Amino acid sequence: MDSASDRWDRRDIWVVIAAFHEAAVIGAVAAEVAAAGWSVVVVDDGSRDATAAAARGAGVTVLRHAVNLGQGAALQTGIDYALRRGARAIVTFDADGQHSAADIPELVGALADHDIALGSRFLGKPIEGATRARKALLHAATAMSNRMSGLRLTDAHCGLRAFRAEVAPRLRITQDRMAHASQLLAKIRASGLRVTEVPVTVRYTEHSRAKGQSGLQAVRILFDYFFRPS
Amino acid sequence: MIIRALLLAGLAAIGWLVFLRRNRLPVHIVLMFALLGVGAAAVLAPEQTLDDVAHVFGVGRGTDLITYLFECGALFVGLHYYTKFVELQRQVTDLTRELAILRGELEQAQRREPPAP
Repeated sequence: MDSASDRWDRRDIWVVIAAFHEAAVIGAVAAEVAAAGWSVVVVDDGSRDATAAAARGAGVTVLRHAVNLGQGAALQTGIDYALRRGARAIVTFDADGQHSAADIPELVGALADHDIALGSRFLGKPIEGATRARKALLHAATAMSNRMSGLRLTDAHCGLRAFRAEVAPRLRITQDRMAHASQLLAKIRASGLRVTEVPVTVRYTEHSRAKGQSGLQAVRILFDYFFRPS
Repeated sequence: MIIRALLLAGLAAIGWLVFLRRNRLPVHIVLMFALLGVGAAAVLAPEQTLDDVAHVFGVGRGTDLITYLFECGALFVGLHYYTKFVELQRQVTDLTRELAILRGELEQAQRREPPAP
């Protein structure tokens, strides 16, 4: 491992967490990441519950969208903020508690010789609480996403990923809602960035399963991806 | 006869509204009045004349021709406003993002230097 990522101070690595109605878990999630020494920005995407207050309680930076825009828009807001604060690398991290802060060092380490490191739930680390149906759905989504993006990945839509700050402009998210994940892959492919996958642990809880994507939402994602100009 | 009067009154009302809200480019106004004029001519023209015009375009009846033109117009208007909607949504996103970041930076600054009592 090099070099650049080893020299980076953890405070120069910004973990962006987009949160919508996550008051129940966001405090613990943000505190876990912040305790590991990373800089954290939580973007509350117009929640009507106490998400922002819970995140502030964890002592991290909180930005608040005045209206709900969607996860893609919230992530880009956090990325813009982190870049203005001089981030060397950005990590995106889900707010519902399914990711583990212990996976971040390996993701960031992979940036030594790659521009972007994508978390994969299917490279050997455990997936806690996932039903067979959910795993099958994730595999099907990955196969479809690979066909669309032209990339060969084992997991197409894991929210845990890291990329170098200098490639952020080439990965700018303009799909405000959930289609941003597919857009990101298309941009990676189009810009020829060096990409790698890193095994990550995922723990699905009742809360994260309730927040997951339904079949109907998947149709909406496809509509956004194909028909919303980006 | 009643329907003709109603249609003409409706077209005249649209023309009056366009005239009152003439904040668009002159070309748009002219185009709008031209369309209203064609509409009025279609209402006033004898049925046979409309059918003759329809035959020129390979359509069986004048009514069908007007339906097809209306469908094209409705699709165009729908697409136009969808494009506008996407553009507006992007502007809302940009504004909301900038507001969120500015508020965040303000809070950071206030935390560093609390306002004087």
